[in-house]
Amino acid sequence: MKLNVYQQLMAMQASRRALLRGAAGAGALAATASPLSIRTAFAQGDIRAEILKIPGVGAGSPTDADWQKVGELCLGGTKQTVQQGEFAGVELSFMGLNNQNLHNLLFRGFLKAWEDYTGAKITWIDLAQADYNPRLQQAIATGTVDFDILEMGAPFEGDVCGKGLASEMPDWVKALIDMDDYVDYLKAPVGTWGGKTYRISIDGDCHNFNYRTDVFSDAALAEAWKAEGHQGEWGVPKTWQKVNEVTKFLKGKQLNGQDLYGYLDPLKGWGGFAFYFLASRATAYAKHPDDKAWLFDADTMKPRINNEAWVRAIQDVVDLIPSGPADQLNADPGTTGFQQFLAGIGSMLSWWGDIGSSARTSDSSVVGDVVGFDILPGSDDVFNSKTGKWETLASGPNYAPNMAYIGWGVYVMSRVDSDAKKQKAAWSAAAHIGGKDLSLWTAAYPSGFQPYRKSHFNIPEWVGAGYDEAFIKSYLDSESNSYNHPNAAIEPRIPGIFQYYSVAEDELAKIFAGANSVKDGADAIAAAWEKITDQIGRDSQVKLYQASLGM
Amino acid sequence: MQDRSSSLAAPTASSGRQRPADTRMAIGQGLFVLASLGLAGIFLLQVLDAAGTVAIGFADWRPVLYAYLFWSVALCARQVLVRGEEGQKALFVLPAVLFTVAMAIFPTVFGFYIAFTDWNLSSSTGMKFNGLDNLRSLVNDPFFWNALGNMAFYVAMVLVQYAIAFGLALLLNAEIRARKFFRVAFLLPFMLSPVAVSWMIGKSLMEVRFGPLASLMKTLGWDSPAFFASPWIARLSIMAMDAWVWIPFVMILLLAGLQALPHEIKEAAKVDGATGWQSFWEITFPLMLPVSITAIVLRIIFQLKLADIVINVTSGGPGGATDTISSFIFREYRDRSNVGYGTMVAEVYLIVIIIFITLLLNLTARFMRKPD
Repeated sequence: MKLNVYQQLMAMQASRRALLRGAAGAGALAATASPLSIRTAFAQGDIRAEILKIPGVGAGSPTDADWQKVGELCLGGTKQTVQQGEFAGVELSFMGLNNQNLHNLLFRGFLKAWEDYTGAKITWIDLAQADYNPRLQQAIATGTVDFDILEMGAPFEGDVCGKGLASEMPDWVKALIDMDDYVDYLKAPVGTWGGKTYRISIDGDCHNFNYRTDVFSDAALAEAWKAEGHQGEWGVPKTWQKVNEVTKFLKGKQLNGQDLYGYLDPLKGWGGFAFYFLASRATAYAKHPDDKAWLFDADTMKPRINNEAWVRAIQDVVDLIPSGPADQLNADPGTTGFQQFLAGIGSMLSWWGDIGSSARTSDSSVVGDVVGFDILPGSDDVFNSKTGKWETLASGPNYAPNMAYIGWGVYVMSRVDSDAKKQKAAWSAAAHIGGKDLSLWTAAYPSGFQPYRKSHFNIPEWVGAGYDEAFIKSYLDSESNSYNHPNAAIEPRIPGIFQYYSVAEDELAKIFAGANSVKDGADAIAAAWEKITDQIGRDSQVKLYQASLGM
Repeated sequence: MQDRSSSLAAPTASSGRQRPADTRMAIGQGLFVLASLGLAGIFLLQVLDAAGTVAIGFADWRPVLYAYLFWSVALCARQVLVRGEEGQKALFVLPAVLFTVAMAIFPTVFGFYIAFTDWNLSSSTGMKFNGLDNLRSLVNDPFFWNALGNMAFYVAMVLVQYAIAFGLALLLNAEIRARKFFRVAFLLPFMLSPVAVSWMIGKSLMEVRFGPLASLMKTLGWDSPAFFASPWIARLSIMAMDAWVWIPFVMILLLAGLQALPHEIKEAAKVDGATGWQSFWEITFPLMLPVSITAIVLRIIFQLKLADIVINVTSGGPGGATDTISSFIFREYRDRSNVGYGTMVAEVYLIVIIIFITLLLNLTARFMRKPD
């Protein structure tokens, strides 16, 4: 390594691990050289370019100091709408997550300058992912809402907004956060209830497909693929049928002395969140282009989990268990995403955008230079729930990206409405976190959030931050093509949705462990789902389900 | 009547010192009656308000709590004012009894009410009485029976832990070097939280890719040392962690028992030519039976509550192989907000535990009486 290169990297405080990534060293040079030169080129006032270089791609994971700096630079909107010290004496409570040391931990940093400027004080309720749902559910059911601002996913809007617990968004906030900039699928009805707007989006969720470019460009594997008589060229699978074929093919093979594995299915429950990963496999089979529904029948809430499409998806998972890493039965999505794929184990993975935004910006990632992205694989045929038959579409494979969780949002609780000063303070804090410029930073760095605004898909901004153009184009395309897909599978925003997922996880665990057959297990899930629907109220669930599908 | 009134009037007239005592008693009694009426009245109003019969608009049930606190104070005051010194003695126990009633007995009784309701936190209609539906669901719930079956295995494993703990206690009771150090060192795992143990051991040492224990197993020839992928290995792995935490507890009880044994008997046996095994089996073990049974019963009670290690490491998997009743209840509550059914499982499990422990204690009592 040349001395000037070394000094440049040291000046950027690149982590030792990043430097030791072998072949990635050259990439790191390319990635780190550009921001330094571009940094001086941007004008002082160009906040977006400025914040994207904090700390800089390839400079290791951002720290609290970085989050504070970003928050301070993005305080313009607050200064436009709030006088200095206007909220002195106001105390707000903020409930959110602390997954992967992100979410609330970032918000603290972002809001530090806001607190200093406005005089308000925020106290924090940090929750692990698995504890989040029950904590929120209990607060709703027992009427013990002890927080003023809430980080929440759209699936809970039925529980919170439907019960009058959220504060309606004032017009000044709507103008401040530029809601027109949201990608279309995040616009109303998402974030609204009964025609009123409640949510500031800070995330846009979908599952995309992450794969290892080095595996799918390896000549020896291509040769072996042909030698074993597989059809088509060796390459990134475009359908789930191919995903399974490739995964079985890779079993027992090696690359650079490392054991290879194909697709990584999380087989252990994750408080209901692991169900999304089965759904990402199932949508291509179950989401017919002519039918908005895919999880339940829209007119009766009859579960489709035991129809042929879902049973086939579950069978696909079961078929790959012998080809997966040892102890995969004990791997939840956190394991597959962060301890396996980003750590170099496995060649294919469905996950939220966190994998892409962490691949080159997190210290724990070793795949930054060898990861590619696409929308979720499709299927050669799709199940038509109305006719009960499999169909082959004239347009080719059926693709149905899974809009899993519909993204995190920030909501202000109605308990602040009785105090005008507190209400304005709460909305101001929420608007600061959901600001347009700040959101670009959260989309680009490990934050727990992925791109969700049209303005996030401006590739030159990312390249300016130090991203390789091919890499970032691949990542952003996988996101925008998922959001804008005409056959996207939208998650139901119905009360108790995680109860359905949680009970499914228990039954799926039995299937994956061989304690139950796929069909019997799927039937058991369907029976349990029917029971939950009856418990919560079938009529209201049908109504809300149809509304969430835009029917 | 005449006789009685005259006899009642006599002491008052004859002794002026009785008057303050009577006044005190009357105050005590009056205070208690007042507090009781207040508690009953507020409880009734809350019930009527909750039922929608009257519209008072209570935000929560705190008024009943405050009334109970006032009633408790009045009850204690009454004890002193009415019963004098005897009442003062009662005050040593009464606050603890009232606390237990409020924090353990009332929730358990109230839990029975909830157990017979359909209460899903997501339901817009709230709590609904549903008779025996939850009980019927429980009887037909394979997850409950699976977890109960696992509990039988976990309870049986207490005997294995006991045997190991006994061996260690014998070692630490012997004249070995650094005995004090080993006594402290062997106690250390017991000082750790099972949550910490599940992360340190289950999720780190036993991690299949980078765990030192997994690496050791690979060196010893186990290709894929997955400790939680197959049912029996997963159960045994959970038990290994559980043993690591709890063996020191049993060991320390047994060690205390061993140290209390009279040396003369063992010395006499030695003089009579008893072998080491004979000395243990014929003398030490029988003499240790009372301590052993206490340790085992206590350990079984703890074991029946096993949840933390399972929740953290396997979430009950693979396929429910390591599930416990407590971890199942945890999922029903936490993940599914299914309060009515979760409470039914908890109450039924409580009854099962009470019956089991009662039978166990009777059995051990009979067993202990046998030598007599």
